Amino acid sequence: MKNKWMNFLSGSVKVKVQGKGIERFVNKCLRNGIHIWNVKKQDEHTATFFIFLKDVRAMRVMVRKSGCKLFFIGKSGLPFLGKKMLRNTGFLIGIFLFFALVFLLSNMVWNVRIEGAKPETEYRILKELKQMGVEKGAFQFLLDPPEVIQQKLTDRIETITWVGVELKGTTFYFQVVEKKKPKEPEAVGVRHLVAKKKAVITHMFVEEGQPLVAVHDYVNKGQVLVSGIIGKEGKTKLVPARGKIFGETWYKSTVVLPFDSVFQVYTGKYMEKHYIAIGSFSLPVWGFKKPPFSHYKTENQKRALQFWRWKLPIYYERVIYRENEEVKRSYTWNEALQKAKEMARNELEGKLETDASIVGEKILHATKENGKVKVEIHYQVVENIAIPQPIVQGD
Amino acid sequence: MMKKWRQQVRNWLTNQLELPADLVMDLPRITMIGHIHIYIENHRGLLTFSDKELRLLLKQGQLLVRGEQFVIKTILPEEILLEGKIHHVIYLDE
Repeated sequence: MKNKWMNFLSGSVKVKVQGKGIERFVNKCLRNGIHIWNVKKQDEHTATFFIFLKDVRAMRVMVRKSGCKLFFIGKSGLPFLGKKMLRNTGFLIGIFLFFALVFLLSNMVWNVRIEGAKPETEYRILKELKQMGVEKGAFQFLLDPPEVIQQKLTDRIETITWVGVELKGTTFYFQVVEKKKPKEPEAVGVRHLVAKKKAVITHMFVEEGQPLVAVHDYVNKGQVLVSGIIGKEGKTKLVPARGKIFGETWYKSTVVLPFDSVFQVYTGKYMEKHYIAIGSFSLPVWGFKKPPFSHYKTENQKRALQFWRWKLPIYYERVIYRENEEVKRSYTWNEALQKAKEMARNELEGKLETDASIVGEKILHATKENGKVKVEIHYQVVENIAIPQPIVQGD
Repeated sequence: MMKKWRQQVRNWLTNQLELPADLVMDLPRITMIGHIHIYIENHRGLLTFSDKELRLLLKQGQLLVRGEQFVIKTILPEEILLEGKIHHVIYLDE
């Protein structure tokens, strides 16, 4: 038995033979190598059977001599299917276009939803997003990944504390948490103001309460600066002491800085390559050249393409090659000292409150060891040293 | 006379050397699956065929198959596969 699939691939024709001596005709066909199957006798002088498409010509020749009549009554198989399809090209194109369209549309952004933001913040976010290309009709695989968008948004808009970015299907969801300026605690309990560390008072500004210290006084940690108990002896009254007491305080910091250091610095030149990846195989789409850099770092962004609601196992991959170069930096003794001072100062300023100021600095000693400079610096800082201490009632 | 003698030699050969009879003696090999399929090898051509009857030429004599709803599933120069309801398989000697 021949394989049915072969019949399908090569195409077959159903024929009807009418006339006398059909059997003789069939025998003759067989002897001439024409394959016949599914022979059925309709009546005395009619039979139907199937032959291969390639045997049609030979069969026609045979019929002429046999005195039978031949009718073609049916056709099946791939060649005919192909012909039919050619005739219905429009339909095929339509199907293809439909899938292409669905594919394209499922990879677009159709909605940008922002939740939890005030109208003006929402407007600003929308503007930023537009700048990043996140808007209706943008292709998802050309956009930054959600984490990067999140990072950029939090960096660029200072009124939001946190923004959650989520891409669900074709919709971007932004969950915004806005910064709320903490309100001054209005109703505070009765309290003293005490020193948070030892200092020499430089100036003071008391809003409420009984100051117990004067300018140029030396105070220790925990010493009461402004008392919350006011009024004369016997007629005292408890109030929440308020005010700012500035005192000179002292800090010591140590900085260790190497003279020579090597950095990897990006030069700003980069090159992109785009791929369509299926499994482990990736097909380059754009960017076929080798990166023209001798030192570079690569950055991979991989996105699954979608069809309708499903993620396909096909990925759009973007590889960014960033050129970097080694930069060697070496300081002289003076430069290193300068740099160390700068670093220490910056570090200290980061720790201090905004109303504090550094009034003096002095290098205690600087040593050179193992190619590093070690600097100890003493700072004089004027800052608010008052911190509240509640008065425990019932004493 | 000669023909008969050759036949006898062949008969003897099959018996003594245990060769398959259909090869040596050019006999048809008929395989039936229940009464729905019949597969005949070594025939010599179609004589008549209708949906109730199939007559095949053999090397010696004819084979007549009777039944209903006959369809020749495949036919090759020496093989034939018939499908239908088979009632009788008859040898006609000549």
